[in-house]
Amino acid sequence: MNSKVDGVDGVVLAVTSGHGNGKLPENVAAKPQERTPRPKRPNYAQIHSRPLPLEIYPVPSFIPHNPLSIARIVLTAVSQYFWPPSSHLPNLYKGYFSPDTQAVHITDPKTIRALWEQGFYGKGTLSRSEPRWLDQEKRRRGLIALETSEEVTRQRRETRRQFKLERARKERETIEQQLKDEGKMPGGAYIPDIREESALIQTVEASIATDILLDAGVALPSPTSLPGTHIATTATQDDSIVPENVDEDIDEEVEDQEHLQLTCEEAFFLVYALGALEVSEKDSPMSSSKLLKLFAEHSTFPSGESQYLQPDGAFLLRYVVYHHFRSLGWVVRPGVKFAVDYLLYNRGPVFSHAEFAVIIIPSYSHSYWTENPDQKAASQQGVERDWWWLHRVNRVQTQVHKSLVLVYVDIPPPTQTDVAIEQTDIGKILTQYKVREFVLRRWIPNRNRD
Amino acid sequence: MADEDEDMPQLSGGGAGDIDLSDETQDFRFLSTLSITGTDLPKIPKRGEKDFEPHATARQTDTLAASRAAMHTALSIPRIHAPKNHMVAIYEPSSNMASVEKAKSQHFQTIGRFANGKEWLLPEETLFMLERGSLDVRWPVKEGEEGLGVPMSLQGAYAAFIGMEGGVGGRLTLEMYNVYAGLKRAGYIVLRTGTWHDAKVELNLSKVGHAKEKAQERYWGLGLFGELWKRLFRLQRSDSLERFKLGPLVTPGLYRNWTDIYKLLEVIPRHDRTAPPKFMLPDDISNPFRITFDVYKPVSQFRKSKPGPPDYRIAVINARETAVPTMVELNDLLATTPYDLPNPSTQMYQKLKYGSRNIILAVVDNGIPSYIRIADAPFEDEKLYERIGRGRGGKRGGFRGRGRGRGRGR
Repeated sequence: MNSKVDGVDGVVLAVTSGHGNGKLPENVAAKPQERTPRPKRPNYAQIHSRPLPLEIYPVPSFIPHNPLSIARIVLTAVSQYFWPPSSHLPNLYKGYFSPDTQAVHITDPKTIRALWEQGFYGKGTLSRSEPRWLDQEKRRRGLIALETSEEVTRQRRETRRQFKLERARKERETIEQQLKDEGKMPGGAYIPDIREESALIQTVEASIATDILLDAGVALPSPTSLPGTHIATTATQDDSIVPENVDEDIDEEVEDQEHLQLTCEEAFFLVYALGALEVSEKDSPMSSSKLLKLFAEHSTFPSGESQYLQPDGAFLLRYVVYHHFRSLGWVVRPGVKFAVDYLLYNRGPVFSHAEFAVIIIPSYSHSYWTENPDQKAASQQGVERDWWWLHRVNRVQTQVHKSLVLVYVDIPPPTQTDVAIEQTDIGKILTQYKVREFVLRRWIPNRNRD
Repeated sequence: MADEDEDMPQLSGGGAGDIDLSDETQDFRFLSTLSITGTDLPKIPKRGEKDFEPHATARQTDTLAASRAAMHTALSIPRIHAPKNHMVAIYEPSSNMASVEKAKSQHFQTIGRFANGKEWLLPEETLFMLERGSLDVRWPVKEGEEGLGVPMSLQGAYAAFIGMEGGVGGRLTLEMYNVYAGLKRAGYIVLRTGTWHDAKVELNLSKVGHAKEKAQERYWGLGLFGELWKRLFRLQRSDSLERFKLGPLVTPGLYRNWTDIYKLLEVIPRHDRTAPPKFMLPDDISNPFRITFDVYKPVSQFRKSKPGPPDYRIAVINARETAVPTMVELNDLLATTPYDLPNPSTQMYQKLKYGSRNIILAVVDNGIPSYIRIADAPFEDEKLYERIGRGRGGKRGGFRGRGRGRGRGR
């Protein structure tokens, strides 16, 4: 489990993180025995310098001791006056809606990178978040020598697991020793070996994983061996990959099988708010009002076709909150793994951990929802949440060092819905909602006294 | 996923911040080292190591037995009223309070109020003093009898003071008393908010702490010129309402900076937290969300006649009878707290977490309170997009995600 690659002994390995193109680092070789310095990170500030997939044209800076800089400013101003450049690309990014995954898929590799790098939209279909499958696959086949960040993570987790096993073993030994000292261990009491157990679990897990892989027929970046791939990495426990056929296969192109998957809110934001994306249906682009209807219909399960837009429909609620935080400059990503609706990142996930975890709660404070008993009952259904739910969610956030934010969305009464869907005024719909945020935190008396 | 590493924070010691040790079952052996009868101040002993499951060693059994014995010893110490500090209070059924002729205890610096030559104790104060053995409460003497009345038992006191909602000075529920006693034992000074008699709650229009400074700053900061300038720019932007209808909100064109683009994205109305608060619900005595206690940190200069603004405001909630508050309920509750801003120089995350108004909910579930601080977080004031390109720009990577060690799931 060390970071060495057979055959390329002594190479100072760097971590690629989606931007590495597989080049070997320049400080190859040298001191094999020394501790490897911390690998260089890609320049994220440069890669993710744009917060949105648009272009801006700042005026060149004026440098007092360089008179030429004035000329440059003038030139830029004049040229941009006559030929104004556009914030949008001439060809919009393209995607298509997939009803099965309830997401918009992007297949063009350039678009995938652009949408990820400029605002962190979407998720790789075969990756945890950033589309990284191709890199990992190349690495698996031995086409790149750089260690991927996933491998580093895996390695770190393995180290931790070993550490825990070791700790458990030590504890067990102390107990055994104590029992022996007390004369209670004439081969009687059996204390199960935690290590044996966990090894068993691991093999079972591995075989299950292989089965799943075989069933799906997808080559996932995993150390398990697969039929059809020419490199047999038989080791199930060992993550280090043996690039034995580097020379033969170096020319082989690995086809990228990964898509970028945009949630409906992300796609709608890119279409309606930024106008940077085009979602097509049977090769013809859809208008934003049509998209709104489509997404609203698919936000329930089973997806039902309704004639009117429900003001408290799941998609609209989620979109309102998504748009709200995006328009304030946060990078908003789905938060399902922490039992919340959204996670808020400052600048983006590569820069820092998310600080806030958002839960959306609809609020029916308009008199329409309370004046009629039927409406009152309907609106209160599924809104009332008990305190145990809140404590559970808050506990999870405390464990992962995030602050829980309750976002209440004030639901307007249903509008006159006899307007044809083509004439929907989206701006008018969105301005009827109101958003209010509350930050929650456990308060512990013993820690706040002074 | 990050789940495998989820338990890391505690191991590295970084996660201790929000983990309350009092939640755990304790090893009570430390009580045996606590000298209660001695004259010197008892030292707080350290906690022992924690075992998670039985493993048949005699040592573990012994430890457990010793811990239990220590607890029993601690409990078996006779609790008596020392003649020097013996204080007798007379229960007054008409007001559901108790009166003390002569206060002989430090406690009276923070409890009771003086009237008609006596110190009068509220139900929760009497009950707390009685429960900790500092007060001898007597039932009132019947007419024609002599001397002091019958001593009030603990059961009698609970029956007399709790749940007398219809009674005068009442409305003390068991939940409220739990919170009161817990906070008192933790060392805080706890007072009732208001008198609890008023059905009506009042809007709190006051400003405390740094909120006052901000108001002044604004007055000097933006002159007439600034206002004019702002309005001019707003006029310029409002021309193209057509873009709202079908989008894109950001019309293709020439933009000089990101701020211009982000300004075009403003559609969803935001809550204005600088505006004076308003109630949204009709005034209703049955609304459970109202401030119950004003809590002060223990400071020597505290004067009960002039307590000043509290450090914390606590609303006691019964977890079995209420649900998570709706926006309207939270709005009305926070409208009764003052406008309170953090120090303007604190960092953005801290500012957001501090909020512009705050309240602590004590959610009591069958006698166990858990405290949640709710803050009205002014997200609209912290415009992240204005930070793009400034600060930290030249540096590579981030700040916290830098090392390999911190597995906190992104």
